Amino acid sequence: MKNLLTVLIILTLCSVTYGMQASSKDQCYNCHAQLGGEPAELFKYDIHHKVGLSCSDCHGGNRNSDDMEASMDKKRGFIGVPKGDGITEVCIKCHASEEKMAAYGFKIPTNQFELLKASVHGGLSTNGKDRIVQCITCHGAHGIVKVTNQRSPVYPLNVPKTCSKCHSNSVFMRNYNPGLPIDQYDKYRTSVHGILNSKGDPKPAECASCHGSHGIKSTKDLNSSVYPVNLPSTCSKCHSDKKYMAKYKIPTDQYEKYSKSVHGIALLKKKDLGAPACNSCHGNHAATPPGISSISKVCGTCHALNAELFASSPHKKAFDEKHYPECETCHSNHLIITTTDKLLGTSKDAVCTKCHTQEKLPKGYLAAKDMRNMIDSLKSAQMFASKLIDEAEQKGMEIEDEKFHLRDAHQAVLEARTAVHSFDRKKFDEIVVKKGLSVTTEVIKDARASIDDYYFRRKGLGAALIITILLVIGLYLFIRNYEKEQKNNL
Amino acid sequence: MKNLLQKFYKWVDERVEVKGLVEYMGKKYVPVHRNSIWYYFGGVSLFLFIIQVVTGILLLFYYKGSSDLAFESVKFIMSKVQFGWLVRSIHAWSANLFILSIFIHMFSVYFEKSYRYPREMTWVTGFIMFLLALFFGFSGYLLPWNELSFFATRVGSDIAGAVPIIGPPLKTFIRGGEDVTGATLSRLFGFHVALLPGIFTIILGIHLILIQRQGISEPLHMEKKKEKEKKKMPFFPNFMLRDLLLWLIVLNILAILAVYFPAELGHKADPFSSAPAGIKPEWYFLFMFQTLKYFPGHVLFIEGEVLGILLFGAAGLLWLLVPFWDRKSARGEHNRLINYLGIFAVMFIIILTILGWVS
Repeated sequence: MKNLLTVLIILTLCSVTYGMQASSKDQCYNCHAQLGGEPAELFKYDIHHKVGLSCSDCHGGNRNSDDMEASMDKKRGFIGVPKGDGITEVCIKCHASEEKMAAYGFKIPTNQFELLKASVHGGLSTNGKDRIVQCITCHGAHGIVKVTNQRSPVYPLNVPKTCSKCHSNSVFMRNYNPGLPIDQYDKYRTSVHGILNSKGDPKPAECASCHGSHGIKSTKDLNSSVYPVNLPSTCSKCHSDKKYMAKYKIPTDQYEKYSKSVHGIALLKKKDLGAPACNSCHGNHAATPPGISSISKVCGTCHALNAELFASSPHKKAFDEKHYPECETCHSNHLIITTTDKLLGTSKDAVCTKCHTQEKLPKGYLAAKDMRNMIDSLKSAQMFASKLIDEAEQKGMEIEDEKFHLRDAHQAVLEARTAVHSFDRKKFDEIVVKKGLSVTTEVIKDARASIDDYYFRRKGLGAALIITILLVIGLYLFIRNYEKEQKNNL
Repeated sequence: MKNLLQKFYKWVDERVEVKGLVEYMGKKYVPVHRNSIWYYFGGVSLFLFIIQVVTGILLLFYYKGSSDLAFESVKFIMSKVQFGWLVRSIHAWSANLFILSIFIHMFSVYFEKSYRYPREMTWVTGFIMFLLALFFGFSGYLLPWNELSFFATRVGSDIAGAVPIIGPPLKTFIRGGEDVTGATLSRLFGFHVALLPGIFTIILGIHLILIQRQGISEPLHMEKKKEKEKKKMPFFPNFMLRDLLLWLIVLNILAILAVYFPAELGHKADPFSSAPAGIKPEWYFLFMFQTLKYFPGHVLFIEGEVLGILLFGAAGLLWLLVPFWDRKSARGEHNRLINYLGIFAVMFIIILTILGWVS
């Protein structure tokens, strides 16, 4: 304890001496500190002040002169308060130079300005001359501290507030993107990330965690970290990091599962932007797992018919009572694989038997079995019809109409798969039997007729040929006899 | 049976006096010699034309000549109309055999020098009918409004457009505008079912009257024989019955072709899609199409394609006027040059058609 006290005294003395040395050389700061005011007050804590930079390094002038006129002489490069892009120009004198940064003992990136220029914030502001955002917009001016310092406006806990200065300002935002919502900050505060952030936990995602910092792109930009195809990997930066997530005690295999799911394959491999990314189900700024009773609503944003049928089905009430997570109960969540008819029925792959067995809830068991049999029958009939159409086509028959009608049968199979979610035999029957099987039967009848017609044509040709050949022979004999008679008459 | 026929003949004769006509036809003779077989191709061409008219009228009951409905109506004929497939297939095959038969008939007349005095007009009307038959084929090909016919018409009308001076207006006239559109279909439909049959029938009538008035041409070697030495048969009923026999055989061939190789329909024409690879015209235009391919881009100051078209035009004109410049045959002398030119033309057409087919 004694040793610690000694060290602290030595350190305090050293820093005071260093401060005196620095300030003693910087006449700008000496005068402005005596005069008082916010800039000088803030500059006291500024990282730049601490490494020995003077006011004149940004504002120009002579730091060594205590004469006001001489120190702020324009001939000596005094520029006063930089404006517009001039502000950033001042910052990048050092921050775009690796050598200068190294001279001050920093190894931080020097490409911030390049990133900013190419970012959505690097566009021209409404005055048509300067960029929308300058360095000081986010980092502040005279009180700049390290990002890891809690006083910094870009410290994780402060980032949402910093961004919201503009992004929650409707008057400001409508100048640039009137269509962009301005409720991100409010939503964020309701999200799991935002709640933890407001509790002082700097680890959960804030704006920059997902959107980046200097090089923020429009969400419509292919290179944006939140462009739909890139979003899952952006979320997985934290959510797949076991060490990082250990504290929160939640699984870290979501990305792995998602990338193998039907949604993940569609979005990540097939680049189908219609497929859902993480935010489609969890929300983006208000990201949170959907509640058990709202899962069908979330899935229903895309699978509308299925959700509607489910909501009016007997399963909705039963699931709510048992606290089953609706769609997820049968289809799982992140690892949703392509749904096949195997899920329906009573076979070992079927999900219905999870609850319905012959002994327990036998009515549902029988209904599931029947529904599966019916959809299988429809598929078999469809395959048979397709085979007959192929055969007729190979025989050169015109069968386009039947081919077209077979699409209705295929459509009925698709509709039947949707109708399963009503868990209502009657509704299912209407589609499978009345629509699907009746169309397929009609197609089979027509295709068969076409094949029969093929054989009829050949038989008809045979008959016609026999008649014509007989006529030819008859005519030939007639000509022979006639000419014989002609010769005899001569 | 015989008595019944005689009674019927008598019944008709009492009313319309056909005896005179029969006697007139009975007095007309057809020369009999080693090349008599070729005489029948005129009759076969006529028979195929009659089939075209009959099947064409039947198709017209259901066909709709607009770009929106043409394809669908042909599809309807093929799949829903009773024997519609048969009528369309016979129409399509008969069209091809009709042109083939005209080719054979024309070359047989050429090699026999039957165009010589006094049958110059018969030759000219025959040649005009040949050209009309080609235009029948060209206009009818587009009517199903399928992919192949659409692009073949585009290529065909492009070639017509390359003819100097009259080409561009001719192309616009055929197409009914800048490109092949529904207007082209309406126009070619009109030509195919109204204008061409009308003109063709008139010229065919003149052609047949000329044949009846002048009789069947004798080959040069027969002309020198004495009347008694000449072998011949009455046109009616001997030659006509033989004609009928051949027509029945042709009908059989047509039926076999229509059943075993029915006319295809393909896909509906889409003016905005790209042309399918290897687009070719119908076989009877193939030799010209293939020849034009061999012409270089430019020959001296003239474009290769234009030169090719001009040469074909000149050859066609020479062919049309052969009765007028082949004075030797007109005098009853053998003209070997005519034979050599004819053999060259036949070989040229066959070889170029094969090359066009396989390329």
